[in-house]
Amino acid sequence: MLLTIKQLQVKYGNQTALQISSPIGFEKGERIGVIGSNGAGKSTFVKAILGLAKYEGRIITDLRPEQMAAHMQSNAYVTTMPVRRIMEMVLDTRIKENKELQELIAFFDFDACLSKRYNALSGGQKQKFTIIMIMMQKAELTFYDEVTSGLDFETRQKLMEKLVEWYRDKEDSLVIVSHYYEELEQLADKILLLDQGKVIAFGRTQELFRTYCGNAIFILDNNSSNSSLTREFRKLKAPNHLIALSCRDQEEERRLVDILIDNQVNFKRSDSDIEIMSINAREQFYASAQER
Amino acid sequence: MKQKKCNRNMVFYELRNINGNFMTHFFGIVFPNMMSLIFSKTIGAQVPEAARENVIVSIMLSMSLVIPMSIMFIGYGALYSQEVEREVPLRMRLFGFREKSLLTAKIIAHMIFMTIAFIIYAAFQMITMDIPKPAVSSVICLLASLYLIGIILLVIAHSLANIFRKFSLTFGITMAVYFMLMMLTGMMGISTDQLPKALQKVAATFPMTYVSNDFADFWTGGSYNFVPFIQSFLFFGAVAGLLLMYAQYRDRRALQ
Repeated sequence: MLLTIKQLQVKYGNQTALQISSPIGFEKGERIGVIGSNGAGKSTFVKAILGLAKYEGRIITDLRPEQMAAHMQSNAYVTTMPVRRIMEMVLDTRIKENKELQELIAFFDFDACLSKRYNALSGGQKQKFTIIMIMMQKAELTFYDEVTSGLDFETRQKLMEKLVEWYRDKEDSLVIVSHYYEELEQLADKILLLDQGKVIAFGRTQELFRTYCGNAIFILDNNSSNSSLTREFRKLKAPNHLIALSCRDQEEERRLVDILIDNQVNFKRSDSDIEIMSINAREQFYASAQER
Repeated sequence: MKQKKCNRNMVFYELRNINGNFMTHFFGIVFPNMMSLIFSKTIGAQVPEAARENVIVSIMLSMSLVIPMSIMFIGYGALYSQEVEREVPLRMRLFGFREKSLLTAKIIAHMIFMTIAFIIYAAFQMITMDIPKPAVSSVICLLASLYLIGIILLVIAHSLANIFRKFSLTFGITMAVYFMLMMLTGMMGISTDQLPKALQKVAATFPMTYVSNDFADFWTGGSYNFVPFIQSFLFFGAVAGLLLMYAQYRDRRALQ
């Protein structure tokens, strides 16, 4: 086990920012996606593991802080010199003498930015700058905390494509914090769902999906006609503008698809939708808490 | 990933960082040369011919103190507190740099910059003023004192920035301490023995007081009782050490 968390509690003043009661473990090579809305405790979770937030409880690991690399929500650098100089200092190397670094810079199309100062870089370029240095660190465990926050849609998509491509055949252990579900669908194989500092669910994405959504789900627009067409199918909690239908097996799926096609209804099928899974996991968590 | 120790790249990085800071250039290089020229021309003209040489040496020595105080205290405090406010040191720690390595690189880089400032200052003094040839031991003693004062001041500025974490607060405090030190140690035209008794005792705890008031007496040779001077270094160093320990304790990482 790379890291185990037991009975963790982080407080800011009198307020509990994070409470993990059941043990959570990360295996080597796993990619954990941490999701939750604002104030869920995602960044607090990262800070506690990095030793940047005071906590009670235990974080059991053989990793030293410097064996973990972290892309934080905000990453600042001096603005008194070009970023090339900062990169060479941080990585203790010369770009022109380091082939691996040159390849990574080219992979992220960062060559033209090297002579600029950090404050002259765009939002996406700033993120790339930190990502390149973090990747070069080859840490045992790497954290990406809201790596695409503040970026426009196109830049966000491009950056995620690059990250997914880079890690595709690698065995690095990652913790990716995001509130963009589609980013985690591409990168994470385990999900830690947090809400108001509590763990709502933790496990393999597929297992969590089956637990809270069934075999597959169908998503369509929420209107009275679609609602009446699909009334015999199990409805899941979904954003107000959508209907999410759960199917237990392929036979049920075929039956639903036939109805939708016959009635010319647009739909999306998924067996890994993290957004619908999260909404339903949260719903069940609070329902059972209320029962208790 | 290993913990990164102080290396050549880090020192060069810090030198570039200092070079990008206008305050260090102005207060560390321009200001002492300008002040020594103004003071020697105005005060020097008011004293009798026989005492003029000693007065000019005294002014030159006093103003040489401005170099470590400006570069290592004001300049560094301004530069580093801006970094702390923007969480640059935290970013560096997350890249595996230890606080000790970062501080060591900063001290070395600032000492190199201070050396350049001393060379410019010495050249300027030789060109513009009639300074008698010093004894080698006096020059060594002066330089050792200035470097040591500089290191202690940098540690104090570093600790203050880490404690207050705001540029405005750190800059305000370092500026206030800077002018207080200048007034107490005889660098503002009022010699320490003209101060009230209580303030004289306070001034005696700062090594700058001895450089400013006494070093002119053995500039061309002679003997001097170094005990109070060394004691002031021990006190000043202890204050810096305690501040640094407190700042590091506040800033420690929970996961060791």
